[in-house]
This record gives sequence, C-alpha cells and structure tokens, in this order.
Amino acid sequence: MSAIEARSLMKNFGNVLALKGANFNVDEGEIFGLIGPNGAGKTTTLRIVGTLLKPTSGSVSIFGIDAVREPDKVRRVISYLPEEAGAYQYLSGYEYLRFMAGFYANNQETAEKMVDEGRTISGLENRLKDRVKGYSKGMNRRLLLARSLMMKPKLAILDEPTSGLDVVHAYHVRQMIKEYVEQHDVTVLLSSHNMLEVEFLCDNLALINEGAVVAEGEPKELKQRFNADNLEQVFMEVTKLG
Amino acid sequence: MVNSLINLVVKEVKELVRDPKILIGVILMPLILFPIMGSAINISQESVRSAIISASFAVYDEDRGAASQAFVSNMSLNNNVIPINAPSLTQALAQFQSTNASVLLYIREGYSDNITMGRKGVVKIYANLKSINIAETGRTETVNFLVSEYNLRLSNNTINRLLSEADESADPNAVRNPIAIEYATILKGNVLEVPPMAIFNVLISQSILLPVLVMIMLTFAIQMAATSIAIEKEQKTLETLMTLPVGRMTILSGKLFGSIAVAVGGAVAYMIGFSFYISSAFSFAPQLTSTSLSNASLGIQPIGYLLLGVTIFITLVSGLALAICLAVFTDSVRSAQSLVGVLIVPVIIPAIILMFTDLEMLPTTVQWILLVIPYTHSIIASKAAFLGDYLLVLRSIVYITAFTVAVLYIAARIFSTERILTARMTSFRLGLRRRSS
Repeated sequence: MSAIEARSLMKNFGNVLALKGANFNVDEGEIFGLIGPNGAGKTTTLRIVGTLLKPTSGSVSIFGIDAVREPDKVRRVISYLPEEAGAYQYLSGYEYLRFMAGFYANNQETAEKMVDEGRTISGLENRLKDRVKGYSKGMNRRLLLARSLMMKPKLAILDEPTSGLDVVHAYHVRQMIKEYVEQHDVTVLLSSHNMLEVEFLCDNLALINEGAVVAEGEPKELKQRFNADNLEQVFMEVTKLG
Repeated sequence: MVNSLINLVVKEVKELVRDPKILIGVILMPLILFPIMGSAINISQESVRSAIISASFAVYDEDRGAASQAFVSNMSLNNNVIPINAPSLTQALAQFQSTNASVLLYIREGYSDNITMGRKGVVKIYANLKSINIAETGRTETVNFLVSEYNLRLSNNTINRLLSEADESADPNAVRNPIAIEYATILKGNVLEVPPMAIFNVLISQSILLPVLVMIMLTFAIQMAATSIAIEKEQKTLETLMTLPVGRMTILSGKLFGSIAVAVGGAVAYMIGFSFYISSAFSFAPQLTSTSLSNASLGIQPIGYLLLGVTIFITLVSGLALAICLAVFTDSVRSAQSLVGVLIVPVIIPAIILMFTDLEMLPTTVQWILLVIPYTHSIIASKAAFLGDYLLVLRSIVYITAFTVAVLYIAARIFSTERILTARMTSFRLGLRRRSS
C-alpha cells in the first residue's frame, strides 16, 4: 500500500491558483522530498496532506485513508512540522514534549516513554528542563523534530526541516531524520530548498513548479535522466528557470 | 476528549501565568497598584486633615468689648490665634495678608453690645486663598466650626440664664430645637433604621464598582485570548495543534477555559486590590464605610451570588469567544491587539454610561442601542443581583447566553475550517480595495 497517493491536487486561494493538478506517490518507509522554488506549492501540498487544508479538487489518501473525508483518522497516523514553527515559549522543553505526548498516549507510562524517545531524538538532555524561550533556533528545531517523531507516526510531514539552521544544527537534524527512519517504520514527506540535503536524505523526490509536479523519481535516476551532475542542475533543467 | 481538554487547559494556564506581561498586568498590578494608590490618597488626605487641625487663624477684634474679648480668649484656648491690632479694617486686612494665616475672623464693632442686649452679634470670616486646594477651604471650615461651637455654648448659657430668671427648668438643646428628626428607610419591604442617604451612598459606590469590575475583567480576558491566539498563529503552534488527533472544538474549549481561569484569577486579584484601595483610601473618613452592606441589610444573597457568577462567567466566555473569532483574522500579536482595541469599545461605553446613570433614565434610542450590546446586560445583571431583582438578572443571562452561543458557533465554524489558517485582515483589506477600484 502507498503511504501517500495524491491525485490531480488543485488548490485555489481566491484568484490565486496554488496547485494545478499535482500528482505523486510516496511508498511506505521511504523519505520523499518535494523540491521547488518559493511559491511553487510545496507548503500547500504538505498542508493538504497534513489535513490543514482541503484541496479545491483532486484527492489524497494516507495509507488508504481519504484525507479530505476522514481527516480525524489521518491525524492519528501523521505528525506535521510546519516551516519555521515555534514551541510554547513559557513551557520547558520537557513540558512541551509531555504536552504533545498527551494527545497520543493512553496512559502516563506511554506518555513518559514517548518523552524519553523525544529526549533521545533531540539530544537536548538537561536543556529540556529549561524554558523554550531561552532556546536557540537550532535547539528549537531539534525539539520540534523530536516532537514530530517521538510518537512514531506512520507518516511524518516535515516542511523545510533545516530551514534557517547553521551547518552544525542542520547536520544534526538531517542525521536525526535519517537514523530515525532507518530504525523505525516511519515514512517521511519533506520539502526543502537544499539540494544537498535532499540528495542525502531522500529515496524519492518530486520537483514541483508553479503548482504542478514536473518530474518525479530517485535522485540518481533523475540526474541520469537529465544528464546532470547534481540535483540543482536537474532542477534548473526541468523548470527552465535559469 | 476530557484528557485532551485538561492537557490543553493546563498548557494554556501555564503559558499565560508564566508570561511576565500577563502575570504583572493581570495578577500583580491590581494587587500592588491599588493598595499603593489607596495609600497615596490616604497620605494626601491625612496631610490635608493635619493641615486643617493645625491651622492658625487671625482675629481682628474691632469691638474690644467684654463679650468680644471673652470670645477671642475662648477661641485661643486650643488654637493658634494671631491677634491683629489695627486702627481700621483696611489696615487689618493688609496686616492679615502679611501673616501666615489663611483665615481672618473679624469681630465687628457693636458685637458686645448686641450680645448683651440679646441681639445677634455679627462676625465675618475672611479667607485668603493662597492656593486652590482642599486644605484652604478646610481652614475656613475649621474657623466656621469653632465659631458655631462657641455660638452653641453662648446660646445655651443665655437659655439657662433666662430659664433661671423665669424660674423654669428645661434642656437648653430642647428649647432651641424642640423637634428631633430620626431617619429610617424602607427597602424591598424591609424597614431599616438607616438614613436613606447612607444607603444611597452605598448603592452609588456599588453602581460604580460593579461596571468597573466587569469592564476590567472583560478587557483582561479579551486581550489575553486575542494575544494567545495571535502568538499561536505567529509561532505556528496553532498549525501544529490542528494536525493533532484532537477535535477542533476541544482546542477552542481549551483556549477558552484556560483564558477564563486566568481572567478569574485576575478578577480576584483585582477585587482584593480594590478592597485594599477602598479601605486605605477612605480610612480618613470612616463615615463613608461605616454603613456596611450587612448593616443596611443590602448586599447579595446566595442566589444572587450564584446568578452573578453565572453572569460573569458567560460574559467572559462571550468576550473570549469574540476575541478568538477576531484574532484568527490577524497574523501577528500587534495586529491582534489593535483589533482587540476596537472590541473593547463596546465594553467600555456601556460601563461608563451605566456608571453615572440608569438605563431607564436614558432616551429610548440610546437604551435600545445599549441593550443590543451584550456587555450592557452584564452590568445591568450585576446591579440587579445586588438589588435582588433576579428576574432581570435571568433576562440578562438569557440574552448574553444567546449572544455567546451565536459567537461560539461562529468560533467553532472558523476553527473547523481552514479559514483559521488562511484568514488575514490584510487580505480582507486588499479584497475591499480591489473591489472598490
């Protein structure tokens, strides 16, 4: 079964056509990347998959569940990390993870296990006792990523997971995603501007431009198809933006 | 559902209470500021009082007779009297102005003759207003009081002398004022041995206090809820919440109950602070507070308290729901706060109007306009609960509840759609501009 099946996704915001019939498939257990310039429709696509937006037309199913008709069921199997999101400033990192675990765990024990998992993923250790207000951007992102993975979702939707981070934190976040997917049965749908990151992380990817998927495949295969040295060249070739 | 709601409420309360702006503004400010304000008023009033007590005054005795000298020596017993010796009133006034005294007691020529002959002796009080403040008028009042006291003593002596000459016996006070007036007030069928003015004073203070309380509490709550939603939007934590396995109504309720809990805490802090303010600010004038509500058999009965609690609660819910409805259309804390500024207007207007008048005293059109505003009913209900008019309280509760249900329905609709993420005031403005161009 596909983790995500998106068919002819269209989305209008008033007169603005954000998606013009996007199609893509994500297999279970893979890391799938959506690449595109600003305003291409990446975040809109992720928000539709994450049940935040309803498509104007088209369909999307998550592990066979219709995200438009049964968003509540979908929310039980996904976790969503918005781009440049924050956590609650006056909670400690631990309290934030415990708060989030409370929505997934049936009892205290399970919740604490999730928080322990979050502690390991984030690598924040004792800093989890501190209030989020004092966290650096990198620590904040690590906390949020730990939150989105700690409950072992079937699908993690990560919008620009390393956006705005320095090299060290970006590296750590990428490692966190890679290791977590390898160790657990988690599917990841992520968007990124960083071609190096995409090449390092993604098993498959879709290039999206002006609301439509213009190319889809494995990074290696795409490079061969477009006779390019790297994904940046593939992207420029496909979109003809250069 | 219940666990998720508790989880959300606890988070909301922690976030709000730990925010120094809210902690200081909502809880600590009223607890600290009001007693400080009260003490400041008390200190200034005390200084006025001590200024009155230690006031010195000048006396110009033009008469220089036996009666006038007896009068002056009596006045000098406990007071600092500055004697003015001058050949004429004009010179006496000039001399008086060069002293520190603010008041001159002028005893006219012929005073002693008049007193001896059983006629009225005339004195005149000159007040030199060096600055315009309460102490200046107070000094005049002090001299006036001293003259009145001496007047009474003189009158009693004369009555006693005349009575003994006529070989009669009577109480000089009864001769002067044969009729004594006692006051009682009938309120809601109960006869109270309290002057109507005392009850009126209590009612007036309550009618000002209650609208102010409702207004302050609503303002706190509205600002808190709007800011909280705006922060969630700004930080994208709301976006995350919307993808969790929790109902949208639960998210909305969590926000409402969390804000209500803190707003109620703020209201309690406000009431404690305000009572300190009242007790310290008016401690110099015990007559203002001596007529307590219980003495006057006024005050709120248990059922009244219950209804008042319900009124305040649904008022808060409606204000919060309205704030949340509006705040979702903003994308930053600053724009949420400016938008909330507009919402506070219908809270303040009825509070201010009803502070000074009753609804029935207003023109019909104004009455109807005010009655449309739900917060008018909150104030009416607070006053009615105090007076025991429970039917009116119930009517107000029904109206605010209907309004609250409508607002909650709209809030729930907004929360259940993607509008909570996509709605922007800026986009509305742009839309309007586009249409008008």
